[in-house]
Amino acid sequence: MSWTILNPATTKAELQQPFAEQDFAYCQALSEALLKAPQSRDFPDLIALGFWLRQANLKPLLAPYQQGQFIRQPLGLVFHSAPANVDSLFVYSGILSLLCGNKNVIRLSSRSGGSTTVLIEKIRGLADVFPQQNARFQLMQCDYNSAELKALISTVDGRVLWGSDQAIQAQRQLLMPAHARELSFGHKFSLCLLGAEQVLAADDTEFQQLVQLFYRDQLTFAQQGCSSAKAVIWVGDAKQVQQAQQKFWPALTELIQQKQPLNSSEQYQALATAQQLIMSSEQQLMLTQQQSISRLAVSSLEPGFIQQHQGCGLFIELQLEDLQQLNSMLTQAHQTLTVWGVDPSLLKSWLSTVYTGLDRVMPVGQALSFSPDWDGVNLIEQFSRKVVFSL
Amino acid sequence: MLVEREPYCLEAAEKQPLLLAELNGLTKHHQQHCQPYQQLLAAQWPAFVAAKQTEQLPYLAVRLFKQLKLQSVPDADVFKVLYSSGTTGTQSRIVLDSATAAMQSKILVKIMQHWLGKARLPMLIIDHPGVIKDRSNFSARGAGIQGLSFMGRNHCYALNDDMSINFEAVEQFCQQFGDGPVFVFGFTFMVWQFFIQELQRQNKTILLPQALLLHSGGWKKLQDQAVDNTTFKQQVLAQTGISKVHNFYGMVEQVGAIFVECEQGHLHCPSYADVLVRKPGNWQTAAVGEEGVLQLLSTLPRSYPGHSLLSEDRAVLLGEDNCPCGRMGKYFHILGRLPQAEARGCSDTFSSGAAV
Repeated sequence: MSWTILNPATTKAELQQPFAEQDFAYCQALSEALLKAPQSRDFPDLIALGFWLRQANLKPLLAPYQQGQFIRQPLGLVFHSAPANVDSLFVYSGILSLLCGNKNVIRLSSRSGGSTTVLIEKIRGLADVFPQQNARFQLMQCDYNSAELKALISTVDGRVLWGSDQAIQAQRQLLMPAHARELSFGHKFSLCLLGAEQVLAADDTEFQQLVQLFYRDQLTFAQQGCSSAKAVIWVGDAKQVQQAQQKFWPALTELIQQKQPLNSSEQYQALATAQQLIMSSEQQLMLTQQQSISRLAVSSLEPGFIQQHQGCGLFIELQLEDLQQLNSMLTQAHQTLTVWGVDPSLLKSWLSTVYTGLDRVMPVGQALSFSPDWDGVNLIEQFSRKVVFSL
Repeated sequence: MLVEREPYCLEAAEKQPLLLAELNGLTKHHQQHCQPYQQLLAAQWPAFVAAKQTEQLPYLAVRLFKQLKLQSVPDADVFKVLYSSGTTGTQSRIVLDSATAAMQSKILVKIMQHWLGKARLPMLIIDHPGVIKDRSNFSARGAGIQGLSFMGRNHCYALNDDMSINFEAVEQFCQQFGDGPVFVFGFTFMVWQFFIQELQRQNKTILLPQALLLHSGGWKKLQDQAVDNTTFKQQVLAQTGISKVHNFYGMVEQVGAIFVECEQGHLHCPSYADVLVRKPGNWQTAAVGEEGVLQLLSTLPRSYPGHSLLSEDRAVLLGEDNCPCGRMGKYFHILGRLPQAEARGCSDTFSSGAAV
């Protein structure tokens, strides 16, 4: 079965002390290569990654982990399996693991293309100057049933599985050593919470900003990023919400008309998904088609929506008078809640009652920003060992 | 009823009101007998009572038959279930009662007779005999061949089970019937790959000068090999002497009222069916000559809500009642399928067992 290393190592990979200067320098060089590349202009995810990789961003981000009475050491050999087509997402967890001093092998989907191709090229370009970092950041492609993959997994100290629930389960068939850690990031469904009263009260500048930020969160990846909202939760009484909707959606559709982020296949997908949700729902849903997007009014979030919703410009809408009504609808799959126009202290006291679901609450516009805390797990803690030193 | 009429005789002024009345009737029927369909109408067309033009009829995305089991008859009345031939992903399931199945066959015969004449002709099938044997798991290819074999006699399968040409059988068929009119049928890709190209490769020809070749099943694989309709026809003529070559377009979700290509190379709506072209996004109907996604209307589906379907094929409407071939009705071109919407998120799909 196939096994291809995309950036062959020229030296033997060795574990490093966490947060080594040379590793930050590698990130900085990759950042510069990405931000300089003319191809990056076509891929907003590469620009975002380029900014994230700057030393000026990574050093402050990791500073808190270098303090305390523990001695931090690398975990060891970490295998990362990237999801098909979330171009570049794999780099975030891979780089954090590299900075923790680990040796990393990253399996890329054979279906990946676009921005991943650019990334691979840039990473290969750094191999000569950073042979050690290159050896500790090995990108490869292989079948799930390849003998080499099986052998590799049997020697890892940790593995990170990104992707669909099925892809994760398939990869779990491969045994890893008893001590090894596993992090899995499966299928997720995210929400956007909008305060109807605030939307109505917003002045023109605030309102236009909301629309732009909402667009960035939801339409950068055709609503398919796991943290892009597929459902919009409106808080307010029915009349307010209706008025806020009448203000919000035409403004968003106007922006979509200008930018045309969805192709005809995606528009078909949105319509077909809307019809599927309608026909398999236990409640009577209501569809509003608005030029290039579709809105689906629901009276509760059903578990079926989580797997069936394929993104592409379809927004489930739920009106709530009280956030408490949401609690029973949330499952472990509900990940990001982006919020605009809701009082943070009110929100925080409500969140303390949410025992199941929601891993991040972010302002609208920040849905796609990556942090070492992901799906309720801290990646730095997971990619390193804390050695207790209490003499 | 339109089903009583000849396939290509009705002008729009006569056809459209009759079509509209029957399709309105079917919409009401499915609304009453198929709960999910009722939910769809209430959600997407809440004010719908009856359409005044076919453009106003509700439509269903054709892929829903892959995701849901949709039927407007009780389980006890199910006569058979058709499955699409799709080799990738899930298959469509089309639930037929005996009345709908019988009507599909009747209409198919009626349309075929227009092209083939009333007499049953000797029939050469460009496939292997195994394709219709497994009746419990009826593929669309098997169903298509089974359905059309009623149109012929002295059936001869041109291929062996391993897809090689059964030269003995083919030569015998040509010797016996080659002087007269014969009916040749196969799926476009099978005809090209396993028959025409194979004859060419082996430097062989057969001679069926009075035959009519009917083929269907999509151009995608041929387009990948840069084979267009003209090349296809030229090569068929060169290897077999067949000059009458007609493609037809249809889908398992609407068996029976198929769209056959005329001598001008245009696909024609029969009396029992119609098409509209819609523009993705706002889904308004497109003008003649304007590209969009094809919506298919058929008066036949009664046991399942398939009388108005939004296909995943891109198409362009060419005209109505004015094709130089003289047949009435709308005529159109298929431009290919909508590309698969690319998964760009974490919710990627996983095809079982295979490398992703």
